[in-house]
Amino acid sequence: MSWAAHDLEPYVIQKHLGRKIAFVPLLVGSYAPDMLSKWFVYGVSLADIELKADTPAQFHRGWPGAGFTHSLLFGVLVGLILYAIWRNKVVAYSFVIGQWAHALTDTGDTVGSMLLFPLTDHLFALGAWAYAGQTGRYVDAGAYFSGLGFVWDGVFVVWGILSWRVLTRGYFRDTVAVADPFWRWAGRYLSETTLVMLYRASFFYGVARWTAWLIWAHVVRSFAFDLRWGGPRWVPRIYADELNAAPACKCPGCCSMRPRLGFYGAVALCAVAKGRSASLRGALAGAPRRRMLKRRRRLKQRRREAEN
Amino acid sequence: MRGEGTGPAAREPGLRETFDAGRRELALYVIAGAVYVAIGVAFPEFLFSWVVAGGYLLVCVILLPAVVRRLRSP
Repeated sequence: MSWAAHDLEPYVIQKHLGRKIAFVPLLVGSYAPDMLSKWFVYGVSLADIELKADTPAQFHRGWPGAGFTHSLLFGVLVGLILYAIWRNKVVAYSFVIGQWAHALTDTGDTVGSMLLFPLTDHLFALGAWAYAGQTGRYVDAGAYFSGLGFVWDGVFVVWGILSWRVLTRGYFRDTVAVADPFWRWAGRYLSETTLVMLYRASFFYGVARWTAWLIWAHVVRSFAFDLRWGGPRWVPRIYADELNAAPACKCPGCCSMRPRLGFYGAVALCAVAKGRSASLRGALAGAPRRRMLKRRRRLKQRRREAEN
Repeated sequence: MRGEGTGPAAREPGLRETFDAGRRELALYVIAGAVYVAIGVAFPEFLFSWVVAGGYLLVCVILLPAVVRRLRSP
């Protein structure tokens, strides 16, 4: 998991894509996977009842669980729903880009994310920093800001600051507000100063929170830095291979999540993406007919040879 | 947007020009950020939610300056 990257990535993407992207769906996409799952990882108290996952990592990233929210296909599906509602391609693919950025960023920890779900429930993990969500919010924060996780976030803090131009009022007016229908709608009710403040809020939140947690972890508390790969080693961490045990259920849905099937699915997806689907379909459909014609020709030839 | 122009800029302003133009605004955000960090370090629960951060920013950058302006005006 990342503590600030998901707040800052949309600004960096905005800088590179300009008017080709709508900022609000991009930001919502960047938050979406954790919006639907993280509250249950750390737990919430409602009228003396505590709601918390028994196995937080399994719930957050695994299957069965809410790990499907971190798959690439989830972003595409929600993007298609958004397109069906608003008939706006930019809104749809902005959400997809934001959600993909989140899913790919989360492959950095030791648990990773099920990028190709439901083709496979394999967790793709680089294992650069420890996943310690099960230890609770404070220890998780201490661990994250002591390992390579905070360095990764730091990259986005610096990159975001270097992209300062996207935070200016002029850029907001000429690029962000033009490309995103949300700002045009909100502009009917709110002043430009308020809209700019709302636009900058996630950047503010990301940078300020990154700074505050870093100070809290190493000045107020004394969590030890450990910048080794997969660190910090002092925290009980969870690895990808500890999740997603073989399904007990033998139904076709559960059994279909096999790497081989995932591989075939990925090949099919690539073929479609490259625009070969039509020619592939044509080739497959035409093959039996071609074989039959060939056989007939051969038979005719043999008959002629026999007659002669 | 309400009551404000949306015409394109003639050329992209540099860092110094942008800084000069929005010095007061930048100072407001930096002070708000520093106070947010200080509160967050003392009470980490304050850092948990985006909604809290957004509300805090709204108070610091929009509402407080508006109140101060109103009090100052005769």
